[in-house]
Amino acid sequence: MKLKLSKQNKPQFYHGIIIEPAIPDFFTGRIWTRTNTPFPQAKIDNYILHNYFTTKPGITKKSNTIFFQRPHYTCNRCKNENQQEFIHYQCSRCEKECVYCRHCINMGRVTSCTDLITWNGPKPLNHKKHVLDWSGTYTEAQNEAANQIKSSIKLKRSHLAVAVCGAGKTEMLFPGVLHALNKGLRVCIATPRTDVVLELFPRFQKVFPKTTLHALYGNSPKQSGFPQLILATTHQLFRFENAFDVIIVDEADAFPYTFDEALQKAVHKVKKQNAPITLVTATPSPKILNRTKKENWGSSFIPKRYHNHPLPVPIYKPLWSYDKAIQKEKIPRKLIDWTKTKLLNNEPFLIFFPTIHLMELATPLFQQLNESILSVHAEDVERKEKVIRLRNEEIPGLLTTTILERGITIKNVQVAVVGAESKIFTSSALIQISGRVGRNANYPNGDIVFFHHGITAEMDEARNEILRLNKEGFGKE
Amino acid sequence: MKRYEVSNCLLCNSPMDEPATWKTLLMNLFPRTICLHCEEKFEPYENTDADSMSLYKYNEQMKDFLHHYKFMHDILLAKVFRHQIRQHLVKKKEIIGAIPMHPEKQKERTFSHVDELLKAANISYQSPLEKITIESQAEKTREERLNTPPIFALKANQALKNKSFILVDDIYTTGTTLNHAKHILLEAGAKSVTTFTLIRG
Repeated sequence: MKLKLSKQNKPQFYHGIIIEPAIPDFFTGRIWTRTNTPFPQAKIDNYILHNYFTTKPGITKKSNTIFFQRPHYTCNRCKNENQQEFIHYQCSRCEKECVYCRHCINMGRVTSCTDLITWNGPKPLNHKKHVLDWSGTYTEAQNEAANQIKSSIKLKRSHLAVAVCGAGKTEMLFPGVLHALNKGLRVCIATPRTDVVLELFPRFQKVFPKTTLHALYGNSPKQSGFPQLILATTHQLFRFENAFDVIIVDEADAFPYTFDEALQKAVHKVKKQNAPITLVTATPSPKILNRTKKENWGSSFIPKRYHNHPLPVPIYKPLWSYDKAIQKEKIPRKLIDWTKTKLLNNEPFLIFFPTIHLMELATPLFQQLNESILSVHAEDVERKEKVIRLRNEEIPGLLTTTILERGITIKNVQVAVVGAESKIFTSSALIQISGRVGRNANYPNGDIVFFHHGITAEMDEARNEILRLNKEGFGKE
Repeated sequence: MKRYEVSNCLLCNSPMDEPATWKTLLMNLFPRTICLHCEEKFEPYENTDADSMSLYKYNEQMKDFLHHYKFMHDILLAKVFRHQIRQHLVKKKEIIGAIPMHPEKQKERTFSHVDELLKAANISYQSPLEKITIESQAEKTREERLNTPPIFALKANQALKNKSFILVDDIYTTGTTLNHAKHILLEAGAKSVTTFTLIRG
């Protein structure tokens, strides 16, 4: 079967089957394992026989050029090249040794004997009549940045947009996205966090009522039609190839994206060759800044929030040996006092913990103060619901890990970070956490407290950066 | 096998920076593959019947593990319990018999999960049986399982007279699979047959 397929890679004039629209709608721009599609296998095989799909092996092996050098593997789906994540095994199907990639195994395993298929039949037409249904207004700074982003997209130039937390980054994207859509281009907005996708999706749906729009994240529901605009987590980008004319990466510095080289390669894989990248972030890493300078990207910078109030500055409060206290089933006094005042004032609060373990120990202790305080972490199934309950003021507060550090907007929220000196709280994480506070125009201030067991350079860096942005936005005060 | 072969926990991917101790070096133990935090979540099963032993209970963590190993086909996870399996089986004098898969099913899965568990634990085993039905026990109700037609057949030219066996499988739920296999071996003249599974459902 396989041999027969590879021989037939010449174009044919008469294909002899009628294409079901659902198939190009789904497969255009995607790269999928051959045996694991949402369509019946016989149907897919028939399309492959008629040359509507190109197939390629799941894993490419670059043979050793130097004697005794190990072969070098690349996963064709996730572009992973970390050799430790390629596992050899005795394959019963091929009866020889095969390799699989552990990096993207959660999307269904890709082995060296799996075929990946990409659509090369006729592509669905892009609509060019999109409408922006948005009645909000921009501040001066927002307007400028929005225009800069739009002109960069027009010029097909990559762009870096830096804006403080709560500057209204999402709104700034609207004109650029609308322009691209009306040119008949396909747009992807990628972000590292599922929470951000879930928050952006209803907003975009409302604003672009005439656009087919899909949200893709782990276990997202099946959606029909050909999406011209896609909101996706960066992990879902692995499933696309050569698909987008414009790609926007929101929160470009967030945890998985900075550390995971494969994800960066994924961004380059999913865009068409000359397609521009737009990075949007509040805390650009030096690496990103260097690159934008070197490659001459467009850039825009907003140091002010949309409601024209300065960013809340974090306060340091020592909380010595908090981990030992919590292990002895005691919350330190200062933290209890802080929580009690928030409960008394009826203000919603978020308390960040460095580890899930510590948070789970602390949860019952906090529930003694108020029974309805809940906790969330990355693997929590009810994460979505719990955040919504906090927003609707059904529960007084949430204990959380860094998972809620970005993309969350809750009115008048008060924030405490327990163990701010921990390694996981980098300066950019701390800036993001501080950025949760005072986002609403009616409540521009709020508490952001770093409870610590010793001040770290990262904490100082975060605080200084916030002070610097305030200075830049409001001059000397 | 290299001592630092696994640098991150195979289940939660958190880094493991445990130093090698004299004990692990001198006793030539397998290096760790999962972190202590993940290991705690597996509940050991308290055996009551010496004829059918199991290592762990089927809890949420185990369900997750089995899903990744058996159905997401992450073969590397066979190494997670290699130490425990080896400890249990290495000094046994009986012949270790692996429960086989149907050849077609094995082609589909690309590996036999029981064989891989034993291989990872470095235990030598035989497969005196072959599977003749393709249907899976997991898809049936309890009643259907208890009245199943024969699942296994004896391979040709097997001399089982007066030999003792330990049959190994991944999970024991109602015991149908293992009882069928046991029955066939006993009928063919085996002296005694006990069973060992990783999980007790």
